[in-house]
Amino acid sequence: MFDLEAAIAGWRMQMLAAGIKTPVPLDELEFHVREEIERQVKSGLNTPQAFAAAVQQIGQANALKQEFEKAERTFMKRTLIILAGILGVLLGMALIMPAAHLYKEQGMMHNAVVGFSWGIPIVLFGVGTAVFGLKRRKA
Amino acid sequence: MYHVSMIRKELVAASAEPMILSLLARGEGYGYAIIQEVKARSGGKLQWTDGMLYPVLHRMETRGLIKSRWGESETGRKRKYYSLKKDGKLAMSQHHEQWSLVQSVLAGLQKGQYV
Repeated sequence: MFDLEAAIAGWRMQMLAAGIKTPVPLDELEFHVREEIERQVKSGLNTPQAFAAAVQQIGQANALKQEFEKAERTFMKRTLIILAGILGVLLGMALIMPAAHLYKEQGMMHNAVVGFSWGIPIVLFGVGTAVFGLKRRKA
Repeated sequence: MYHVSMIRKELVAASAEPMILSLLARGEGYGYAIIQEVKARSGGKLQWTDGMLYPVLHRMETRGLIKSRWGESETGRKRKYYSLKKDGKLAMSQHHEQWSLVQSVLAGLQKGQYV
């Protein structure tokens, strides 16, 4: 006797083994497979045939994994750009703050100018990079 | 009778994003319904491997074109519903402009005219 739940559990194991992440992508794929099985059964196939058709239609685990990885790479790239921007701002501020302190407390004009001349462009570059990362839309 | 063959996979891949955006512009949708709608509208000529839709949806969500929420169908089945974001509407307009241009160039060439 064909056990649909066991068959779906087996299919999930194959997907997991191929590296499809859980819970979201795999759950979403499973709900899709279940809807397709339901439709196929309504159109006249028996449950094992419907399961086989739905699994074939959803695609090979390795091919799916590669496509999901592309989506993850897009996210990672964007996150790294934003982080680089934030680091730039922090580094720039780390140069500006002591320079401001030196100028205010000790009147060390030369050291302050060096700090400002490095710190301000780095902060601006960091802000620009972070904004670029936030607005980045292309994959 | 003129026979339209199955659409090449490169064209299917290129048209996936504008199709999804255009379908979601009509209202919230979930993966299975999107695929069924595309199949029905193309008379089965646009064949997506069902599972390939989801990475595309996830990529579009990461890029801020669409957003998602978990919900339930009338029968209680869990579904992930997708809808357009502001940037998605903008991207859809750009896709429509570009595809219209391609279509008009091809139509013009077919008639032996320049556009």
